[in-house]
Amino acid sequence: MAIEKNYYTIDPQGRLKCFKCGVALVKGKAKFMYLDNGFPVELPVCPVCGFVYVPEELALGKVASVERALEDK
Amino acid sequence: MSQIQERGSTHVYKVNKISKEEMDAMTARCVYEQPSFCSAACPLKLDVRAFMQAAAGGDFKKALQLYEKVAPFPLALASACEAPCEGKCRLGEIGDAVSIRAVESAVARFGEGSKLGGVFRMKKRKTVAILGADLLTLFLAGELEKKAYPVTVFCEQADLESYLRACAPFLSDALFPLEYKRLQEKDIQFEFDRRPDAALYEEIKARFDVRCASMDAARALFPAAAPVQELMFLEEEKLVCGESAGVLDKAFGAKKAALTVDRLAQNLDPRNMRGSEGACESRLYTDLSEAKSLRRVPCGEEGYTKEEAVREAGRCISCHCEECLKSCAYLKHYKKHPGLLSREIYNNTQIIMGDHPLNKAMNACSLCGQCSVVCPNGFDMARVCAAARRNMVSTDKMPLAPHEFALMDMLFSNNEAFLSRPQPGFETCRYVFFPGCQAAAIAPATVKAAYLDLCARLEGGVALILGCCGAIADWAGREEMEEQVRAQLDRELAKLGDPVVIAGCPSCAKELRAFSGREVRGIWDVLLELGLPAGARALERPAALHDSCGARGDEATQRAIRALAAQLGCTLTDTPYSGDRSPCCGYGGLTAYANREVAAELTDKCLERSDAPYLSYCMACRDRFARQGRESRHILELCYGTDAGSPPDISEKRWNRLSLKNELLQELWLEEPMEKKRDYQLLWTEEGRAMMDERMILADDVIAVMDAFRENGEAIEDEDGLLVARRRVGNATFWVKFRIEGEDAYRICRAWSHRMNVVKREG
Ligand SMILES: [Zn+2]
Repeated sequence: MAIEKNYYTIDPQGRLKCFKCGVALVKGKAKFMYLDNGFPVELPVCPVCGFVYVPEELALGKVASVERALEDK
Repeated sequence: MSQIQERGSTHVYKVNKISKEEMDAMTARCVYEQPSFCSAACPLKLDVRAFMQAAAGGDFKKALQLYEKVAPFPLALASACEAPCEGKCRLGEIGDAVSIRAVESAVARFGEGSKLGGVFRMKKRKTVAILGADLLTLFLAGELEKKAYPVTVFCEQADLESYLRACAPFLSDALFPLEYKRLQEKDIQFEFDRRPDAALYEEIKARFDVRCASMDAARALFPAAAPVQELMFLEEEKLVCGESAGVLDKAFGAKKAALTVDRLAQNLDPRNMRGSEGACESRLYTDLSEAKSLRRVPCGEEGYTKEEAVREAGRCISCHCEECLKSCAYLKHYKKHPGLLSREIYNNTQIIMGDHPLNKAMNACSLCGQCSVVCPNGFDMARVCAAARRNMVSTDKMPLAPHEFALMDMLFSNNEAFLSRPQPGFETCRYVFFPGCQAAAIAPATVKAAYLDLCARLEGGVALILGCCGAIADWAGREEMEEQVRAQLDRELAKLGDPVVIAGCPSCAKELRAFSGREVRGIWDVLLELGLPAGARALERPAALHDSCGARGDEATQRAIRALAAQLGCTLTDTPYSGDRSPCCGYGGLTAYANREVAAELTDKCLERSDAPYLSYCMACRDRFARQGRESRHILELCYGTDAGSPPDISEKRWNRLSLKNELLQELWLEEPMEKKRDYQLLWTEEGRAMMDERMILADDVIAVMDAFRENGEAIEDEDGLLVARRRVGNATFWVKFRIEGEDAYRICRAWSHRMNVVKREG
């Protein structure tokens, strides 16, 4: 199996659950997309409905700084 | 609601709109990089400012290094230089010019010379011979030694001492030994007792690559010699020599000759690649108002002592033009003079691939035009930045993020919150009141009072348009959007019977005047004619009047506002930078959206002028000063006896516009507004509301998320039992953290957003 590079990984470690499905979120594969660039990441994901969670710290930190960098391309 | 299309890719190639020539013409107006007047007058191009700064700081070693760059024999030059620099010293216009030559002489006496020479220095391969002994060839020998040529001087004198006496007979007994020592330390070869005759000339022709001669020696050899003066070159003999008038001209002649030697040594034509030589004119501007010590330090027979030289050098005001940097917080923030910043911004627009490092700077200018007034040459940073923004937009390189909120706000003003109606009872009107989007957002009650007053006191009907004039699109460089606004307003004005526009905001007045071709007046002019309405009242304390950047160059408006303030009974305190020189509050040019740090610095710069309450005639100014905690009033609030109170947050600004529209529709036009009813209740926490304002998240964005949650039930539950729902709205994803409080009620705790789209990945 090929090793895939992930730009960022968050493991919910059972602390979050999907309100709709009633199950714990798991570490799952997701992708950020912006201005024709894609970044594979691992984020808390609902194993049933696929809800991908972007926590506040991630949105304001890493995500915001990547956005700024891409916007000035 | 409408949305703005994000550019799809960062790999777009389109043609430019600004030409290099256009930009060069703009940047050439900045004189910051011009030499000082004294340096420009010096054919040797001594950096007098740096020299004086070093001397004034007591660093004679550094000062001497700077002087030796142009004078290999500093005492010889400084003793007798004609010093045209002193005649150009600006202090001479209001007092005594700086005694530049006397300071040079002191530096040459007390400074520690540089030790460039010595055995370890690599010498050039081409050899040079100099015939004769005079001041010009002494300087030339020094110049060539500095350039690392192996130099041999052939002279009639018997020894070095008599050689120096022949070259510089004016050196005093005190100075001679110093310069003699300097000459001894230089790596120059001498052949004494050699007369410059034909035999010697043949000998050196055979032995050396390049030949130079004093003019006396050249004439002894070739009585009809007429060298090319600019090159110091006798072409037919390939002999470096030339006439010279005074001491400084000999130093300059030596410089020109040394450059010719350089060219000849490389087998190049001495005419080419000489750069700019000699004295020039400076276009620099200097503010002399802060010059303090106007009297020169008296100089004795022996010249300045070290301490006296330090004091005299300290009188130099180091002529620099920083008029714009002194007055503009934006330029101060970037610590760059506008000529340089403009070039960098222009280069930024030319980048096809990769980072655009100047995006932020380009979007931080408030486009207020203050620089064009304070700059002695009228440099206009606004023109540069506005052109650069339009260029970035047209080439699809402009990021949407810095301006999207403002542009969406404009779309909101001209869609949901837009209103255009003739006065009830009229089909068409003689006037239309256009208060501006910020007035409706910040002081809706004032707008309503003003409209009712105009309706009551003006004949012929007063229509009302609530909307944005398009300035926001203009500031963002979005020409297409600006055109759309103009077309919309044109249509509405035509429907209303092409009324005279009564603008409530100087920026709107300017914008509407620019495109509508209709008569545009300020409400201040109308109120001056009609007289103040009942209920008008002055500020109790003296106030500082802040002129709007929209009224820059509009003397009539500035005067009308002052007249209105006087009628109100306001006492105005004088502030520096008023009228045309007024700085921007930080809202202009969308700085408040694109660069909040610079916007805050602009606001502070406005407020540092006075401790008094601020009176303004632009709602954006009123709002920014109030947000900064200053008592701040718009002149219309005083005219109508209203108080807009503490500044609204971004959501309240929208709500104010919408409810003003709905209120007027109901009360004046008896129309039932279309209000969206929510079947659930939102409760806000103070923390949540403050966070939303800080992060530019609107209550409408939160409502969109909660609507989605109500519909699909999708949310995350964290360990504290708080729920987090999300929704993609336009170009951003909004997240809301909330608590369910009873049936159909939610308490909003936190909110955040990001522009990147996140999706699940398979595998
Ligand atoms: Zn789920």
